Amino acid sequence: MSAGSGPPRIAVIPVRSGVLPSGAQETIAEAGGAALLAGSGTAEAAAALAVDAASVATAEIGEPAFGGWAAALAPLLAPYRAILLPASPDGRDLAPRLAAVMDRPLLAGATEYRDDEVRLARYGGLILDHVTADGPVVVTLQPGVRGTEPRTRDLPAPEPAAVKIPDGHDAAVLAVSPPDPGTMDLAESKRIMAGGAGLRGPGDFRLLARVAAAIGASMGATRVVADQGWVAHERYIGTTGVAVDPDLYIALGISGAIQHVTGLGAPRHVVSVNTDPSCPMMAMADLALVTDAPGLLEALARRLGIEPDAGAGEPEPAGARGQEASHG
Amino acid sequence: MAESADVVVAGAGPAGAAAALVAARAGLRVVLVERGPFPGSKNMYGGVIYPRVLDTLLPRWWEEVPVQRWVTRRATMVMTGTKALTVEFRGEDWDAPPYNGATAYRADFDSWLAGKAADAGAELVCSTTVTGLLRDGTGRVTGVRTDRPDGDIRASLVIAGDGVNSFLAKEAGLYEDWSVTHFTVGVKEVLALPREVLEDRFNLTGDEGLDIEILGGTQGIPGGGFLYTNLDTIAVGVVLSLAGLRDSGKRPEDIIAALKDHPAIAPLVRGGELKEYSAHTIPEGGMDGMPHLAADGMLVAGDAAHLCLASGIWLEGVNFAIGSGALAGETAIEAIGSGDTSAAALSGYRRRLENSFVLANHRKLRGAHKLILGKRAQTVYPELACGIAQRVFTVTDPQPKAGLRRWVHDERKRGGVRLRDIVKDGWVGWRTFG
Amino acid sequence: MGVPRYIAAALKWVDLRPEVDPLAGTVRHDTRTSGLSLADAAALEWALRLGESWQLPVAAITAGPPEARAVLRDAAGFGPTRLVHVAADRDAPSDAIARALAPLLAGAAVVCCGDYSADRGSGSVPAFLAHHLQAAQALGLTSLAPEHPGSLVAQRRLDGGRRERLQVSAPAVISVEPGAAQLRRAPLSGLLAAGRAAVETAAADQAPEYGSRVHLLRTTSYRPRPKVLAPPRDQLPRARLLALTGALSERMPPRVVRAAPEQAADQLIGYLTDNGYLG
Ligand SMILES: Cc1cc2nc3c(=O)[nH]c(=O)nc-3n(C[C@H](O)[C@H](O)[C@H](O)COP(=O)(O)OP(=O)(O)OC[C@H]3O[C@@H](n4cnc5c(N)ncnc54)[C@H](O)[C@@H]3O)c2cc1C
Ligand SMILES: Cc1cc2nc3c(=O)[nH]c(=O)nc-3n(C[C@H](O)[C@H](O)[C@H](O)COP(=O)(O)OP(=O)(O)OC[C@H]3O[C@@H](n4cnc5c(N)ncnc54)[C@H](O)[C@@H]3O)c2cc1C
Ligand SMILES: Nc1ncnc2c1ncn2[C@@H]1O[C@H](COP(=O)(O)O)[C@@H](O)[C@H]1O
Repeated sequence: MSAGSGPPRIAVIPVRSGVLPSGAQETIAEAGGAALLAGSGTAEAAAALAVDAASVATAEIGEPAFGGWAAALAPLLAPYRAILLPASPDGRDLAPRLAAVMDRPLLAGATEYRDDEVRLARYGGLILDHVTADGPVVVTLQPGVRGTEPRTRDLPAPEPAAVKIPDGHDAAVLAVSPPDPGTMDLAESKRIMAGGAGLRGPGDFRLLARVAAAIGASMGATRVVADQGWVAHERYIGTTGVAVDPDLYIALGISGAIQHVTGLGAPRHVVSVNTDPSCPMMAMADLALVTDAPGLLEALARRLGIEPDAGAGEPEPAGARGQEASHG
Repeated sequence: MAESADVVVAGAGPAGAAAALVAARAGLRVVLVERGPFPGSKNMYGGVIYPRVLDTLLPRWWEEVPVQRWVTRRATMVMTGTKALTVEFRGEDWDAPPYNGATAYRADFDSWLAGKAADAGAELVCSTTVTGLLRDGTGRVTGVRTDRPDGDIRASLVIAGDGVNSFLAKEAGLYEDWSVTHFTVGVKEVLALPREVLEDRFNLTGDEGLDIEILGGTQGIPGGGFLYTNLDTIAVGVVLSLAGLRDSGKRPEDIIAALKDHPAIAPLVRGGELKEYSAHTIPEGGMDGMPHLAADGMLVAGDAAHLCLASGIWLEGVNFAIGSGALAGETAIEAIGSGDTSAAALSGYRRRLENSFVLANHRKLRGAHKLILGKRAQTVYPELACGIAQRVFTVTDPQPKAGLRRWVHDERKRGGVRLRDIVKDGWVGWRTFG
Repeated sequence: MGVPRYIAAALKWVDLRPEVDPLAGTVRHDTRTSGLSLADAAALEWALRLGESWQLPVAAITAGPPEARAVLRDAAGFGPTRLVHVAADRDAPSDAIARALAPLLAGAAVVCCGDYSADRGSGSVPAFLAHHLQAAQALGLTSLAPEHPGSLVAQRRLDGGRRERLQVSAPAVISVEPGAAQLRRAPLSGLLAAGRAAVETAAADQAPEYGSRVHLLRTTSYRPRPKVLAPPRDQLPRARLLALTGALSERMPPRVVRAAPEQAADQLIGYLTDNGYLG
């Protein structure tokens, strides 16, 4: 192991226009405070760090071009035994390119990094693989699993690194659009009522939206539900979806997969409605109602004086999963 | 442009798979159409298969059929609200070839059987629903329409193995008498238990299995219950007369819940984790509700032809489905060979069924469902039997035992059971099952 | 890179409903519930669309055990596609998979992938492929618009609800979210022909090596890691202690209630009222 020879870990944080990606602070904390911020607006991003940092390097290299970035950053990173990136969209895309250029194994989707053991979430976060590596590695860390200690010291002055992006074939960024105003209510809402695969179809979600509105909440969902087209993709909460931080979170028919709950922030009141009393979402809940979620939704609607619309409660439309047979 | 085949089989349940297997073996071009993503994916039933019917189709089937447990013990439990009397038979030789019955999951069994048909050359098409019949000007069935883009398949013969309430048989006008009284509804829960717990609880070792049929546990609704052991799950369910259920105003899930709470059942299911709940209608069976079995260009097999016994304590259908499917396949070979698939030319199908166990058993058990689902068998006799048993087993010291004759008499009086009825039912029973 | 000759879909054979033992962390697979994930189905659909709009043939490729050929037959249902299977372990690491696939994908204008596989869930195979093919990568796409042959504009989701528009030109590896397209239904004739379609099997020397530098210690069920807590701001030790233990906070003890939907709705309304969410 090369752990003794040279600095053991560094966090590599892709930055866009001064905005840190989700999980940036946690990744730096997990890396023990050494960070390289790469992208555009890195100085501005460095000033926004809220965790203690031992060293901050910046590479002002513009908009992402991951092939080029990996080639350019590799020499800077070679001394480090572990290169940690957040498993945010940009981190996920850069990490394998670094691993390939540097000929290191990639440990993707870690919930914890230690030099002797790394835990990787698999099967949608239902299980953890505990692995160890013989040599240097590249790791992506799931955002939201760790938490961070607040900063206690002044930040070190960022040290700009001279990096030149080699010519290569990468996609070109045309534009970055701000968050969809259609989801701003969700991201900022203090009350969220969300539905998962335990509801039956688009009809249930139309009713859910109205019931949520009646209690002053925004409607959220899980990715499974968005993938089936029952709600707009902008409505799903989680690592790869919208990050929220409400006071009240009501989950209807949601199992509580890691990628979902890590987008939840720290709600003060959690209610979970599920037929399975032992799923993770129920374990998180202050009030765990073991019952049929569609039934409860309808009962709630009646109590709040909401007429179910014609389409509510309709079963899942045939082929809603869009699934072709795999067994011809 | 439509595809064409010699035979299109609708539904890859046991009936359809057996028909496809037989026809494909004879070299016919067979397309087997199944709406589920794989055969058996959506099929529910109680849980016991009596596969001896496979002896001729697939010799040494037991070496590969995917079973959960071999049924080595069969019990019949007669119960009242709080009491139960169980008669159990243990057959040691049921644990060795050729076996008697097995518990199996339909997803496993149906996939296996349809796989045999595919091995024999039938073309299995899944996630595809038959949506209608193709017919010529004379009304003769010439193929099927499916829900796929350019999804028509022309065929010399269509075999409908699409299960109870067969949409194809209906469309071909083969159901005449359509009455709710001919149907029962089955509801079932599958409960998971660790294998050791299950084996300990039911006193099973290795691949031994137990099946319990239950009479009287259905809250007075005509029907019966069952409890079967799989490897690490148990299936508990009830089969209820649809008309009886409707009249009672109760919900089937409440009936199962009550059955699971019965003092004789509760300790058997305790701690089981609910894995699935399902419900399905069943043709009550018997000769009375049977549709016509052939139209011009079409045959009907299995549940689609109501070839199923589901009255109270019997739950047999898979065996009849395989039997009738295989005979439909044979009929297809003959008819296609002779170039005539008119209803008249297909009449050999019924003859074949009559000469086989399929209709022989149905003929024999004709009326059985009336007996079993009648009020006396459902509530009066269980009370009587349990009452007598209780007296037999109760130690009344210091009172002397009254004796069996006295007990029977007292219990009969208490339940208002007339001797005449017992004799009559006994006679019907003897004629039916004897 | 020469003239693009075809569009490829990299399809992974995964168990769509694996049985995961929540206590032991063991996973039971069933081939019957295995097949194309929604994301890979969307990738296949986009491969077909790109093939149509640029008039290029489509190839489908998978690395996996022999049963994995099932996903190629799904693709075969849509007409004349080249079908390639590379032998690989079900659990082979992403970089090994990419190394096995890459030699067979040379000359592809665009390789279409799903964004994440359901089991490994790393989303990294496409990026590794891009490295080996020296192709542009555009991952996690929500929509794409083909332009003239070999060029497309794609949209993808960033974090925090932002979105990005990318200009992508061949050779490229793209990965799409499950919602990016719904796979069309194969015509019956295609499905019947698919059963007879020929699958090429890649030569053994192209199969990946597993001289892995990563060792699996054990597998367990998921248990959340204790989160780091911010120390409370109060200066008094007693106040800090109370805040940390939550001793005096109003958080109610967790309650589990089994009830019919109607009664459960009453419980929920009661809870919301008690906590000041409903008047
Ligand atoms: C790389 C990656 C990233 C991901 N990112 C995200 C993300 O950002 N956000 C996200 O949400 N997911 C994400 N996922 C998916 C995630 O792993 C889970 O699959 C998903 O969150 C599960 O959604 P669900 O709870 O709706 O469905 P399921 O896990 O299927 O759970 C359905 C629940 O409903 C219950 N239920 C069923 N019937 C009823 C009933 N009648 N009444 C009450 N309850 C019922 C069941 O018991 C179960 O608990 C990601 C996955 C991967 C691999
Ligand atoms: C609760 C219950 C318990 C039972 N218990 C037992 C038991 O323990 N033992 C026993 O032997 N029998 C039992 N039976 C009866 C047994 O399940 C049936 O008799 C048997 O399944 C009949 O087989 P089949 O092939 O005729 O029909 P099915 O098994 O119903 O198969 C029909 C097939 O056709 C497919 N299909 C239907 N419509 C279409 C369409 N339009 N296009 C394409 N495909 C279509 C279906 O998906 C299905 O695969 C039970 C039944 C029930 C409901
Ligand atoms: N074994 C494989 N064979 C073919 N394609 C694969 C394989 N593994 C992953 N892919 C592709 O890469 C995508 C992302 O997978 P992963 O990187 O495993 O999350 C999948 O959706 C597939 O399109």
